[in-house]
Amino acid sequence: MARCGRAGRGTARRGTAPRSAASSGTATAGRGPARAAQRRQTVIAYLFLTPTLLFFAVFLALPLLFAVLLAQSRWAGFNLADIEPVGLDNFTDLFAQGSTFLTPILTNTLLYAIGTVVIALSGSVVIANCINNLRFQGVWRTLYFLPIVTTVVAVGNVWKYMYEPGGLVNGALNALGLPSVAFLQDPDTALPSVVAVQAWASVGTAILILTAGLKSIPETYYEAAELDGADQFTIFWRITLPLLRPSLLFVCITQFITGLQSFALINVMTGDGGPGDATNVAALEIYQQAFTYGDWGVAGAAAFVLFLVIALITMAQLWLFRRKGEDA
Amino acid sequence: MPRIRRRFPWMSYALVGIGAVVTLVPFLDMLLTSFKGPGEYGRLPYRFLPEAFDLANYRDAIRQLNLPLLFRNSVIATGLVTGSILMTSSLAGYALAKLRFPGRDLIFRLVLSTMMFPPFIFFIPHFLILVHWPGAGGNDLLGRGGAGLTVSLAALVMPFLVSGFGIFLMRQFMISIPDEMLEAARIDGAGEFTVWWRIVMPQTKPVAVTLALLTFVNAWNEYIWALLVATANPRLMTLPVGIQMLQSYLDPDRTVPVMMAGLVLSILPILLLFLILQKHYIRGVMLSGLK
Amino acid sequence: MRRREFGAGATAALLAATGCGAPEDAGVDDGGVDDSAVEGRGSRPGSPIVLTLLSHYASEPLKSALQSAVDAWNATHRRVKVRTTAVKFTDLLTTYMVRQAAGQGADILHPYCLWTGQLVQAGVLRPAPPEAVRRIRRDFSPAAVTASSVHGTVYGYPTEVQTYALFYNRRLLRAAGYSGPPRTWRELEEAAYRTARRDRHGNTLVQGFGLSRFDDSTVVGQTLALLAARGGSLLTPDGRWTAIDSAAGRDVFDLERRLIDRGASDTGSTLPKAFPSGQVAMAISAGWWTAVLRGLMGRAYRDVGVAPVPGLAAGDRGTLATGFLLGVNSRCRHPEAAWEFLRWLNAVPVPARARGGDNGRGRDGDRGGDSGRQVSVTRMSALQVSVGSMTGRADDMRALLGPGSGSDPNLGPFLDALRYADPEPNGPRAQRVKSLLRKNIETVWTGRRSVDEALRLATRQLNQELGR
Repeated sequence: MARCGRAGRGTARRGTAPRSAASSGTATAGRGPARAAQRRQTVIAYLFLTPTLLFFAVFLALPLLFAVLLAQSRWAGFNLADIEPVGLDNFTDLFAQGSTFLTPILTNTLLYAIGTVVIALSGSVVIANCINNLRFQGVWRTLYFLPIVTTVVAVGNVWKYMYEPGGLVNGALNALGLPSVAFLQDPDTALPSVVAVQAWASVGTAILILTAGLKSIPETYYEAAELDGADQFTIFWRITLPLLRPSLLFVCITQFITGLQSFALINVMTGDGGPGDATNVAALEIYQQAFTYGDWGVAGAAAFVLFLVIALITMAQLWLFRRKGEDA
Repeated sequence: MPRIRRRFPWMSYALVGIGAVVTLVPFLDMLLTSFKGPGEYGRLPYRFLPEAFDLANYRDAIRQLNLPLLFRNSVIATGLVTGSILMTSSLAGYALAKLRFPGRDLIFRLVLSTMMFPPFIFFIPHFLILVHWPGAGGNDLLGRGGAGLTVSLAALVMPFLVSGFGIFLMRQFMISIPDEMLEAARIDGAGEFTVWWRIVMPQTKPVAVTLALLTFVNAWNEYIWALLVATANPRLMTLPVGIQMLQSYLDPDRTVPVMMAGLVLSILPILLLFLILQKHYIRGVMLSGLK
Repeated sequence: MRRREFGAGATAALLAATGCGAPEDAGVDDGGVDDSAVEGRGSRPGSPIVLTLLSHYASEPLKSALQSAVDAWNATHRRVKVRTTAVKFTDLLTTYMVRQAAGQGADILHPYCLWTGQLVQAGVLRPAPPEAVRRIRRDFSPAAVTASSVHGTVYGYPTEVQTYALFYNRRLLRAAGYSGPPRTWRELEEAAYRTARRDRHGNTLVQGFGLSRFDDSTVVGQTLALLAARGGSLLTPDGRWTAIDSAAGRDVFDLERRLIDRGASDTGSTLPKAFPSGQVAMAISAGWWTAVLRGLMGRAYRDVGVAPVPGLAAGDRGTLATGFLLGVNSRCRHPEAAWEFLRWLNAVPVPARARGGDNGRGRDGDRGGDSGRQVSVTRMSALQVSVGSMTGRADDMRALLGPGSGSDPNLGPFLDALRYADPEPNGPRAQRVKSLLRKNIETVWTGRRSVDEALRLATRQLNQELGR
């Protein structure tokens, strides 16, 4: 009722629009007398899309263009007129002998992403599967989700101080009679320590997505397996995991990409990627090259390289999983 | 639908319990450290519980942080981003789901492709675009000479006003709204805007709440961009950045507890919001897994 | 060069004053926020010119020391007002770069001399006018002038000069049987091993020699000071190549590695916290640390002694000098006013009381305010000395810190070092060079690379950076 009344006001505002033509036009576009209505709908559609398209033009297309330009320029300064094209010089600098960009920075980036995915994925598969056996599932999932809604500044700092000599983790180690570990100061442990935190913070999302996947596995499969006398482990290995593949793929790809491009946690926990370059990753290096050293060109080139790496890896992952899916 | 096991799943309880402890302990440590007195943090051997529940750290955090400014910036920026993404996503989502026009598929594919680009490519160009925004902040019409939009809160929100994911989410949801319902309204003479606002929008409420919540949490927690903007203009500092700035060096005994107090204050609102609305939020994350 | 930053919330606290400022407010030159709340902007006719000054003097006692000098200017000058803003030292370079990029650079900058080359190349700093250059060359020590110049062009007043020396804890050395500080490397190493102690978990109780790994400046500063004392230098004389891969460089890397391997240094501990707690017997740091330690340690500061950085033989002298300069932004719209303020601050001697080392907080009661005598020094010299630092004006320093001034005797070795210290190279990529060097030093400390590998890699990386 109310809806009709409001619709009527809409009509009044529109004046004497040929209402029958308009409606038949949208219902069955292309059937004849509806050209004008179709044109009107096009105009309206683009009107609705205007903010979006404008935004993409200014904050997507233009920046991409600029990024490509910047990667091939040397620009020491802040005046747009000073941008000087240098071709591929920035790229050769990045990969020159002794440059830190390939090793350790890009290697760290990959290790960071792989480590996060492996820990978060295996942890979340186990936990999601266990939660599925329990009561109060919502409560458990909510609990595991708390780190996700917490700012990286909180997550990073809490863990940073837990890793300190006087912090909780070393306190626990000492209580067990073990020696202290300089987690973030020792380059052998620094990267794994940060990876553990990134994984800790992303397990919640993975659990949720895997739970959605678990719920979509038909109950009959489990019943059949139990009738056959399969034990829990076999059921998990033979039924749950294979049928969970789409969700696993999704978690894997999104977490991997996130891992490749994230540096906020590292920035909070180790500042500039220390000790040495032990926790320096590509995105952090880009940020520092640009905003601390003012070397926009090298930063742009590095961003370009990282983008290519991410695109290639994503495609490889998609291809790999798709092929496996066909085999199964 | 939970499957009821025959035996008590003690193994599952054990694993989930251990995981829960690992998840919760850092939060507890944050809370307990925030009460520790001067010299108490960092003393060996480590003690989990504070000697006394001292509120001085909270007083210090509030005094040093200028919380009103930080909260104001965070709230305004988060509100603007959330509002804008809701608005643009539902408008664009509606056009892509329910209107027929040339170029629709192309635009939809463009929207999908925007989700591919990692944010770090955009840091530098976005910053420079905002600095050289024509006519703003003392700039001339070619965007030279002034500070551009980096003098205003616009700098915090501009790069986040539209979300490809949001449009995608809205479109997927709106597709399932029966065409007949829209037809009926159109037959009654409603224009497309009215159809969108009066018929489609009320139906998308569940997904809109979800999208709003996802956006809100992301925007509230935004750190790297906010750090850059605050470096250019400290009056635009948001909560996470402000607390990070509390980092000190020479007297960690004192600073760490104060910082933890600041962190507790800053994550409290968002944790409460999440706990109250967690159903919607969790659905959103699950939806994102189904695309 | 780490600054005094306890109470670092000051950065954020500065925001307090302008909480009400409208965010859309398009004040172009408003580089930050200040304590003095609302003031008119310089653009309106009749209202005063407002110059912003951005430094790292974000915490006490530096913040108040600078502010009181600025307040004195503002009280006596009606046409030109100065507003101070500050960020932490670790954020200072990024802040200069980002604010300049955003067209919000402050009018007056106070950069670390290491960055002079980078800031000049980026067009941030404005060359000093001729009369200022004449005064600077005449009155300041050559190392300070060199540090504030690029290719012979002077970019500002060298406000602060820091030299590096050996800090030691008398109590810990005495307990290990030493009556005085080590005078040679051999003595230093021996004393380091004999003072170090650990508990049964392997937690360090006392470090013999503390290595700070807080930031580029502490890591590299202590290493370059040792290098200079050993007779080496970071760059070749023409500044185009690195000279780190030399006998001297190898010795320094070896020494640091040995100290860690044999348990005399624990790089996992936080030196600025451990030393004042009496958990470190020796460490190398710059003069500003005296004031910090006095503030943190109270009466226990009597245990702290300072000696020149030991060389191979007793009497070998060499160390590192670093510093800051006060310059004017190339985008400043009132450069004459800015240079006039800097002259007033840095080049005009005024009567002052020689009471060096008292940081004004009156923590130690054993030094009375009446021990000073009247001298004539610049406001900046008085300011720096009041916070335990020095300017490059050697005459001022002698007047304020010399014998009979009643100043902290621990400052003596830093003053002496002005004569023989090497300035830190400041080419356009100097900060990059420094952080690359730091990373290589840390790989040696942590045992990730051998000394040879680290020296080779550092040489390659530094030379590539210097060639850019």
